[in-house]
Formats: sequence, structure tokens, C-alpha cells
Amino acid sequence: MMLARRIGGKLGSLVLTLFLVSLLVFFSRFLVPGDPVSFLLRGRKPSPEAVALVTEQYGLNLPVWQQYVNWFTGMLQGDFGRSLQYRQDVSVVIGERLPVTLMLVVMAGLIIGVLGLTSGIIASLNRGRPLDRSILIGLTVLGAIPSFVGAIVLIAIFAVQLGWFPTFGSGEGFSDMVYHLTLPSIALALVFVVLVGKVTRSSMVEQLGREHVEVATSRGLRRGTVIRRHVFRNAIGPILTVSGLLVAGLLVASSIVEAAFGVAGIGSLLVQSVDRLDFPVVQAIVLLVVTAFVVVNGIIDVLEPWIDPRSAAGGSAR
Amino acid sequence: MSTSRTASTRRSARRRTAFIAVGVASALALSACSAPASQEQGGTVDWELTTQTAAPSGDIDSYSWASYAEPYTLDYAYAFDYADNQVLANVCESLLRLNPDYTLSPGLAESFERPDPLTWVYNIRSGVTFHDGTPLTAADVVASMNRIIDPAVGSAWYSVYQNVVSIEQTGDMQVTVKTGIPDSQFNLGMGGSAGVIESAATLAAAGTDYGNSSGLVNCTGPFSIEDWQQGESITLKRNDNYWDPELTAKSGEVKFVFINDSTARVNALKSGDVDGAWMIPFDAVPQLRDSGAGDVYFGMSTAVSNLVVSNLDGPLGDPNVRKALLMAIDRKGVLNAASKGVGEISDVHTTKSVWGGASDAAVTEAFDNIENYPYDIDAAKKLVEESGFAGEELTYVTAPIGSDFNIIAQATAAAAEAIGLKVNIKTVTPGAYTALFSDPSAREGVDLFYTVWYLSSPDPLEMYGVLRTGEFSNYGNWSNPEFDAIVSEALGVDDPAARSELTAKAQVIANAELPWLPLFTGPMPMFMGERVTGVAPSIAFLYYPWAATIGAR
Repeated sequence: MMLARRIGGKLGSLVLTLFLVSLLVFFSRFLVPGDPVSFLLRGRKPSPEAVALVTEQYGLNLPVWQQYVNWFTGMLQGDFGRSLQYRQDVSVVIGERLPVTLMLVVMAGLIIGVLGLTSGIIASLNRGRPLDRSILIGLTVLGAIPSFVGAIVLIAIFAVQLGWFPTFGSGEGFSDMVYHLTLPSIALALVFVVLVGKVTRSSMVEQLGREHVEVATSRGLRRGTVIRRHVFRNAIGPILTVSGLLVAGLLVASSIVEAAFGVAGIGSLLVQSVDRLDFPVVQAIVLLVVTAFVVVNGIIDVLEPWIDPRSAAGGSAR
Repeated sequence: MSTSRTASTRRSARRRTAFIAVGVASALALSACSAPASQEQGGTVDWELTTQTAAPSGDIDSYSWASYAEPYTLDYAYAFDYADNQVLANVCESLLRLNPDYTLSPGLAESFERPDPLTWVYNIRSGVTFHDGTPLTAADVVASMNRIIDPAVGSAWYSVYQNVVSIEQTGDMQVTVKTGIPDSQFNLGMGGSAGVIESAATLAAAGTDYGNSSGLVNCTGPFSIEDWQQGESITLKRNDNYWDPELTAKSGEVKFVFINDSTARVNALKSGDVDGAWMIPFDAVPQLRDSGAGDVYFGMSTAVSNLVVSNLDGPLGDPNVRKALLMAIDRKGVLNAASKGVGEISDVHTTKSVWGGASDAAVTEAFDNIENYPYDIDAAKKLVEESGFAGEELTYVTAPIGSDFNIIAQATAAAAEAIGLKVNIKTVTPGAYTALFSDPSAREGVDLFYTVWYLSSPDPLEMYGVLRTGEFSNYGNWSNPEFDAIVSEALGVDDPAARSELTAKAQVIANAELPWLPLFTGPMPMFMGERVTGVAPSIAFLYYPWAATIGAR
């Protein structure tokens, strides 16, 4: 019952958020200088009547509010309009590229999870010792490398010099895709590992110092059990919160990594579409990213009490 | 003709925009040139023109080719760009064929006649089939050509057809085009995408999806499209029923891969992941040569690098100030910095490669009896002082498209400063830069921008037609009645030699007046890996089925 109410409330605020975002996304395009039709012509001399007809074809001659209503009602029916640059349905243009980006984000997420959690946990258990300090220094150094620099270095070493990995593209079929996306996902993960690692470490350190942990230890419970059941379970709240925030960061950062590795995903499409004034595509991608962000964080909110009983009881996770 | 993407040779895909609010354009520009360079900056490379590479030893199952960008579309009505045309040229064919040496020969029209100055008659080749097996008919020709003048299509090639009044089937395999005024250029345009013939049935069936990755195309060329993976690749398959045995494909398939980032593209060539590419970055030539992965070739080009003068109401309205600015630019130094010294200084707006049909007298007139503008700061400074414009400011718009864009912007600013003018460099996104070429409002308050302008037809008149009063691409609204009269007269002259004498006069006027500032010409750089050979390197790769000539090395 409690859970149903929680989820219902979440859904309500999710829908409202997305509606407001849709307004923002749609009308922000009018702040960008430039005329999409002139881009469609790409510097070529049009026939005298063509400009008016092209404008009409894309509905750019309608009043602004009507353009918004058409766009919004179209989306509810799964019609995101037509891409100006590719002269094709936006759903097709994005649909073809979405799997690659999702795969890239999932792979990067796994790397971030594994490396971030383990380094954070190991550092916290060795708090104050040289190992802790070297992990912290290592994380900080990794975090300071911008994605594109990481990408360039990885390509130079592992793709060009050693030839272990392909230099570009996303492959065909599942295993080939994993192989192609290995370097890009590492490049994407680097910056974020430090965040998860440091949050994990500080959250664990805080829990390790708590009374109930000392009580559990003095009761003679094994260290592993204590760490698992008393420390880590309580430390996971902040880690989850940060992970939720990462989703948006990963999607944005993916554009840079995708460009460097010649991977055709949503990120590189977004950058390219902004430049080419391909508004239907930009609007759809931004909505997609925001939706993903809101949904993931919504799910984390709903799940949190299951993992960390204190937040359900109204206590703070701090 | 061309716009921004002529520079795409060195285009970096790491183009970020206002969208990613971290507007660290400078830091990101760094990323574009922080690639591991195997040679020091500033060195020049040795080069020579190659007209033909070694013949293949035999067929090859499959090879891959890198393009700097995905085609926007393979609809011939819109294909007006290196990315689109280099693929389309191997799939769709035109009435005439533009060869690597920039001559025209029969294509899907086996012959043509000009019974009177307003009429072009095309006799369509029989026995040709589309990729779906249906035969080519005169009705397909009429339907394909009519799309270019249909305002609902809004074709990029409309200018070729601007004087056309009717396109009709006049025989079983004959199509007649009538123009309102004598137009020598229309027929020359039939070697490009403007002359492509597609099946009328396919056009009707595909509708608005024609030419995109769902609708694809159905043409007559040596390859058909097998598969278009959005954002990734386009795979072409050999057409076993191709009509011309001379150009039957020497490979079973060709896979075009799209690698926006120039560093990534060069890496893919060095590692052998990809077998070749047109328009490799000049600064990558040394490392590609060092890699041993294949050979760099330089092919014939029709491109001239220019500074477009887009405002004649300011200081640049005075021809002497334009001359002064050109004389103040160290073009040799710029060429070395921007293109590793590959290319030649030019004082005119065309290359000799498009003067193939010209008389000797015309070529002499056009290239020898002209003014040269040697690097001379003192003389230039004096011209500016006399003009009374000293101390005025010019606005120069550029975009982070390639290192050449940046180098030329800086060099122009330095040159202007040296002769007593000020330059304000405005950097905009590549998209906004492209808008300069079609949107007059984008050019407001802009004095100068850089372009590499190539010609799609084998006639220098294509260039000078653009500079007539009131023309769409006459960006500075330059106007010279004598020039207009000569060019308009030349457009009506059928004989290429006689026409070239008039065109030479137009070139002399443009050279004296400098509506745009010509900087230099450069060949078309390309790379072929050690697995493949056979191509004739030339900018005709935009319209000629070059991929069919490549086989096993």
C-alpha cells in the first residue's frame, strides 16, 4: 500500500517534469539563431518557389504554439517528426543509434561499478594506510583525464600500436559490439570511477565508525559478515544517489567518446544535429535523456527503502 | 561549387556546440590537434599529381573505404556534397559521364544533339536495366529530370535547370529538353547528379523515403546498395548485369564506413582497418607514409581556396583595399602551414583542369595575361593609406572545421593588421558557417569568410556565372556590367573553344577586380592501403564510378 502510493506519487511528478521539460525543449529552439530551411538548402540556389514549399512541408510556417501542439500530440502517438538532415522519421534515425549508446553506457556503468566500488571499499578498509592513499591518488589522477584525452591515448596504444582493438565503429552482432565498445566504454568510465570510488570510500568510512558496527564486531560476528550486513548495506544510499546522477553525465559524455571512436550513437548524433539545426532530432534526444534520468532516479527513490530501511522510517541516510 | 564541406577534408568530428554547456571551445579545439603526430609541425611534404594508379592484379571480394561523414541522403536531387556524391557516383548514373580527366563522354544517353540553340535532344541507351531488373525507358528519364525543377522537391541542383522550360519524351528512346535562352551549361551539368536517372516506379513507390536509409535507391550503376546501417556504414554490392564491360566492378562489395573524426580516420587507415579514403588531412600525410600501410596519392582537383568578400559597402568595397589585403597575405607561408605546402598560389578563381575544351589562346589569356599579387606589405600599406580606410575594422567569420580554417583566419587578421586595418575574428559553429552560403541574414555585418570552391562541370564558366549581378552565390553583391555581359554572352555560345575566349575575358576582369580573393589551388589527396589499387585519383570521384575500378593490388 505504502509502496503503491509512493510509486503513484513518483509517476505524477515524473509526468509533470516531462511536460515542463517538453515545453522547455521545444521553445529553446527559438533562442538558437539560424534558419533550418537555409540549412536544408546547404548553400545551393533553390528554385524561387522551393523555399516556401519546403517551409510548409516541415510545418515551419505554422504559429509557434500550433507547432508545439502538433509535435506533442505526434509524440504521444510515437511520431517524433522528420529529421531535416536525413529526410527520414526521427524514430528511425534515433532507433538505429540507440542500441549502441545503451550498450556503451551499460558497459561503462559496469566498469564504473566494479572499479569504483572495489577501490572505494578497499580504500575504506585500509583507511589511513599507504594503500588507501595510493588508491585515492590513483583515482584523482584518473578523474583528471578528460574523456577525449583518454580516448586518444587508448586508441594510440591499444588500437594503433598494439592492434588489439578496432580503431572505430561499433561492430555487428552482440559479441562484436562488446569488442568494439571495450575501449570507448573504458574512456567513458574513467572520469566517473573517481566519483563512485570516493563516495563509496567516504560512505563506508562513516559507517565503519558507527556504534552498531562495533557492537556487531564485539559480538564476535565475522568481519566479512559485519562489513556486508552492517557496513555496506548502510553505506549504499549515497552510492545509489550518485549512480542516479551518473546516468545523465554518462549520456552527455558519451557524445565526446562516440566522436573520438567513430561510434554512431545518440551522443554524436546530438552534437551533429544541434550544429545542423535539426530540431526534431535534438528535441527527441533531449527528451529521451531527461526521461532516462528522471526514470532512473525515480526507480532509485522507490528502491531505496528496501535497501536502506532507515530512509523508509523517515530517517536520513546520512 | 561547394560550401563548408569542401574543407571537410580536415573536418574534426569533435565539434561541440553551445548545447554542451561546457563551452570550452578552446580546450576542445585542442583535442583536435593533440593527436599523436609523428612529425613536427610546419614541415612540408613532397607531392606530385597522379592521374592513374597501378592496374589491379585481379578482382577482390571486398574492400572498405572511409568517409568523413555519413551521406545526408542518396537522393540525387539533394546529393551535393563530398559525403553524398562519393557513394552515389558508384550506384546511380547520369545521362553523360564525367571522367577523371574532366572530359564528358556518353552515359545513359548514348548520344545527344542540339538542333537549335534552345533545344537539347538526348538519345537514351537501350538494353540498360535498373538494379531491380526493370529496363531503362525514356519515361524514367523524364520523371527523373522533372524532379529537379519540382519546387516541392526543392532540389540542390536547380541552378543547372534554371533556364529549362520543358522536358518531354519525343521518341521511343528519346527525350528533348527546351530552354528559354541558349544555355551551354545545361548539357555540361548532365555529367553530375543533376543528370542522374532513377526508375520512375521506384520514385513513386518510395515517396518521401526515397534516397534515405529506409527507401534507398534503385539505379543503373556498377554497384547497387546492399545495406545502409545508419551512422555506421553503407555497403555496395557488384551489379552483375551492368551495361558497360569497361567499368564492371572489380570487387564483390565495397563498404563505406563513416568516421567523422579525422584522427580516428587516419588511425583506421594506418592500422589497415580501412583500405582507403578520399580527402585525407594534409597534416596526416607524413604519418600515413611512415606507417607503411599503403600509399598517398594526389589527384587532379578543380578546387580553389578563396576568401569570399561578402560586404562591398565597407572598406573592401574599394578594389584597391581588396588588392592590398591579398598582397599582405603571405600565401606561400599560409599554404605551407595549412596544407603542408601541397598546392600552388593562384591569382585567379579557376584551375587549369577545367579549361580542357579551351583554345590555347584563351588559356594563355586567362592564366598569363593577368595581374599577379605578390606578397608586398609596403605596397599594400600604401594602397590602404591612399584609400582612406586605414584604421577601419573588418569582420571575419570562421568555424572550427579544420586546421586550415584556423590558420587562414589568423593569417588574414595578421595581414590586415600589418597594413593598418583591424580584423575581428568571429568563430561560429560549422552549421552556422554553412548558413553563410544560403542565408543573406547570416552574412549581415560579415566582410570575409573562407571557402574552398570546386567546379562540378568541366567548364570555367561555371565559376564566373556565379559572380554575375544578383546571383545567389555572389555573396558580396559584386556588380560589373561589362563582366555580366561577357558571361551572359558566353553562356549562349555552344562551341567550347569560342566560349573559352569569352570566359578568359571574364577571368581577366575578375582577376583585376577581385570579387573574391583567390589564395591557392590544391590537389585532391587520397590514400589507398596495400590491398587495393586501380583508381584514377581525381575530384571526378564525385560523379564517376571510381569504386568499380578498384581491385586487388
